[in-house]
Amino acid sequence: MKENMKKIEEMTRHSIFEVFNKMFFLFLEPLDDKDNGYDMEAAIRFEGSMSGEVRIFLSADIVKTMIQNMLGLAEDDITERDIEDSSKEAVNMIAGNFLGKLDSTEVFNLSMPVFKKQPGDLEFTENACRMDFDSDGGKVGVIIAVNGYP
Amino acid sequence: MSFNVLIVDDSNSMRAVIKKVISISGFKMDQCIEAGNGKEALEALAENWVDVIISDINMPEMNGFELLERLKGDDFLRDIPVIVITTESSERRMQDAFNLGAKGFIKKPFSPEEVKKILYEVIGVNDEGEYEEDRGDDKAFDF
Repeated sequence: MKENMKKIEEMTRHSIFEVFNKMFFLFLEPLDDKDNGYDMEAAIRFEGSMSGEVRIFLSADIVKTMIQNMLGLAEDDITERDIEDSSKEAVNMIAGNFLGKLDSTEVFNLSMPVFKKQPGDLEFTENACRMDFDSDGGKVGVIIAVNGYP
Repeated sequence: MSFNVLIVDDSNSMRAVIKKVISISGFKMDQCIEAGNGKEALEALAENWVDVIISDINMPEMNGFELLERLKGDDFLRDIPVIVITTESSERRMQDAFNLGAKGFIKKPFSPEEVKKILYEVIGVNDEGEYEEDRGDDKAFDF
């Protein structure tokens, strides 16, 4: 299981880099120290030959940078709706990208993403892994939990 | 020549990004209509003619597959090319979309070049935004 989680972690990491680089024009640096200072969370569940959840934790400053880079908005023009939409879109893209890398022949059903203004518990089980990243624009954390991976 | 585009996505931000990416790409867009799901898209299509539809799959109320089904069953709307733009990249999902009449598929995250290329491909125009068959007609009169 540990070996499989490593594979999943590696694929997820690539998906996170791809999404942040291509959609938000942000280059992330992996952080070794686990940081719990996040301001919000978005999560999405997936079901198929295996099931699980991807949760993304964001600092307030990185969400603003993401929106500014993606939409070209000035900081003062950013709305709560933009923050929620962009956070949900980020976790949606990471999950879809990861599942495509995992097995492009398999169909996975994705739930509608949910957004939380206050991040939930960052604890995770042995069927999950956590990654933290830093960038000029702020911090991102991702927890991916899977059930049923062979 | 410029084209009317209908963007269907439940995320305001994603609709804005797609619109921006189309503008950056150099694609000649005239009117851009937006809808938050398949139901809103059908309402918009009852009042507006569009040259191409770009639709997400995972949406509340009426998802992209249901929208494709409704379009396929409508004599007036079935010929409007639909590009599916989604995070879901499984081959079977793509095939399902094509079977329902989708003409193109864009995977998120995407680049402006990818969006422009697929837009021109499904509408059937060249890089100048002219219909491919028009170019042939022009040549026929080029004495």
